[in-house]
Amino acid sequence: MEPAIETSSLTKRYGSLTAVNKLNLKVERNTIHGFLGPNGAGKTTTIKVLVGLLNPDEGTVKVLGQEVHGDRPDVRLRMGYMPELPKLPKYLKGWELLDIYGRMYGMAEQERKEQIPKLLEMVGLKGREKDFIGKYSKGMQQRLGIAQALLNEPELVILDEPSLGLDPVGMVEVRELVKEIAKEGVTVFVSSHLLFEVEQICSHVTIIHRGVSLVSDTLQNISNKLSGPTILQVEVAKFSDAIVGSVKKLPFVSNVSQEGDKLIIELKTRDDVRSQVSQEITKSGGVIVSMSLKGQTLEEVFMQLITKSQGGKQE
Amino acid sequence: MSAANKKGVRANLGWTTRFWAVAKYELLWNVRKKKLIGMVILAFVFTTLGLVLPVILSNAAGLSVSQNSDYVINSGVGSIGFFLFALVTVMNSISGEFESGTIVTLLTKPVSRTMVFFGKLFAAFITLLAVNAVLFVYGAIGATVVYGPQNNLHLVPLLFLGGSISTFVWVGIVLAIGSLSKSSLIAALGAFGIFIALFISAPIVSLFSDQARVLTYVPGSGATGYIVGLGQQTAYTPGMAVSTGTDSIAANLITYVLHPSAQVSFFTISGFSGEQILWGTPLYTEPLSLVLLKSIIVATTYILVFLFIAWYAFKRAQILE
Repeated sequence: MEPAIETSSLTKRYGSLTAVNKLNLKVERNTIHGFLGPNGAGKTTTIKVLVGLLNPDEGTVKVLGQEVHGDRPDVRLRMGYMPELPKLPKYLKGWELLDIYGRMYGMAEQERKEQIPKLLEMVGLKGREKDFIGKYSKGMQQRLGIAQALLNEPELVILDEPSLGLDPVGMVEVRELVKEIAKEGVTVFVSSHLLFEVEQICSHVTIIHRGVSLVSDTLQNISNKLSGPTILQVEVAKFSDAIVGSVKKLPFVSNVSQEGDKLIIELKTRDDVRSQVSQEITKSGGVIVSMSLKGQTLEEVFMQLITKSQGGKQE
Repeated sequence: MSAANKKGVRANLGWTTRFWAVAKYELLWNVRKKKLIGMVILAFVFTTLGLVLPVILSNAAGLSVSQNSDYVINSGVGSIGFFLFALVTVMNSISGEFESGTIVTLLTKPVSRTMVFFGKLFAAFITLLAVNAVLFVYGAIGATVVYGPQNNLHLVPLLFLGGSISTFVWVGIVLAIGSLSKSSLIAALGAFGIFIALFISAPIVSLFSDQARVLTYVPGSGATGYIVGLGQQTAYTPGMAVSTGTDSIAANLITYVLHPSAQVSFFTISGFSGEQILWGTPLYTEPLSLVLLKSIIVATTYILVFLFIAWYAFKRAQILE
């Protein structure tokens, strides 16, 4: 099966500014693929090309196996899209909007009658569907934006910054919603500048900066490829050199250092070896007060990549 | 039914379902626009005043109201009416979508830009036709009550037809400016500028220069000619006034049906003698049928050209919003 999204040397310029520069993007089906980058990285421009709102200057774009260039309603029939901070017609009521959009998707009346209440309930707008959109809060408009993106039971959903403008509870709900959608076999391509959000919901990630893709892989592979050593920090009472010596001898330990009453243990492995370390320290007469495992977060990976792409200088 | 099957059915539902969806989207917007509602109320007020003001003034002067069986057929929406209705209906049809950002969600639905454009145009046509119909029915009932039974009511459809053609010239102009500029304000001001320039300059060119023929080819109120021997001959007019412009198609259609062999003469004013206007020799004389035919061809050409410009600009637009 062809990838859900595939771009080859995609380039988009606004005058002298190159917003997207020879971007090669591949989004496999049935994945939640995060599209990560700082503000102005080219995420929204890329998405607008994918949904046909902008034409690329160079390169090719394939969505669900079909080439996208210009006005392609047949491709849009199979996908759903929620723009960043969706602007919806304020003169329509919530259900009217979904009903009209449903007709645009060619949904029969019965299908609309079944699908619309289900979606309104899912996004928490049940009871407010007969209000004009102009009376909705930003969060409610965001929820309606998600509902309209899922209306046609799409094969691919593109969400541009779905958590923007939502309160913390709303953000959690959106994340859960995305996971639910993906469980039904839908490919989700979600752009975000929130690293923790991507880390929590995505299986695959592409990091983009200044229109250039810095890395694109599974979250696990990115972590493995780019992370430094995993560090285990152990706070020990009754500290002694014997403890340091015995921990150093463990086969999965590459280095041990001491900071006050803390042992900083660099590990060669990503496996959870806390119980073995704990046993060794106790055996050597130490008393463990606390223990924490520090792997490199996506945020650290992200910052590392961004810094590298800027020639080592941090903005 | 599986999602894949549903999609198969959807693909077969054809363009009519989608076209109607776009038209409904636009119609709901039109009927909820405060500008249009205000304009309709204003039109009702003016129609009512047109009907009852002569009665009130006659009563105040102690005169009886004379019967006028041609009130309906001689009434109609004037140039400013065609322009204003067109303006409030379509000034933000395209540009408003860009300004509000709603164009993004609309154009990511499986409807082509061409379908969106023509769906919106169709909705504008239905809106304008409905407003005109309601006003005419109201005017006809009112006129029957005030001025007695009306003649030639079977010609009312010609008023609709002519009025629609006239309005759509302005619809085309407003849409073209709106699509090119993506700004409702520029669309409104640009179209108003064209309207007012033609509205003021047309009678001047028509009556004080010998270039009246040029006005046949511009939108708006056009050149004024006269059917000598028809209508009242007064100190101010040599006969029944006829305008060549695209705004006068409805009136000219009715006049043509009632007086098919009428000849229209175009004069310049050669001077004034007290309150009397001194008319020069006719610049030229044309059959009314030719005046009417030319105005319909000119209006249709404008409609097609401006709508093509609007459609092309919309189709090629990059959505940066």
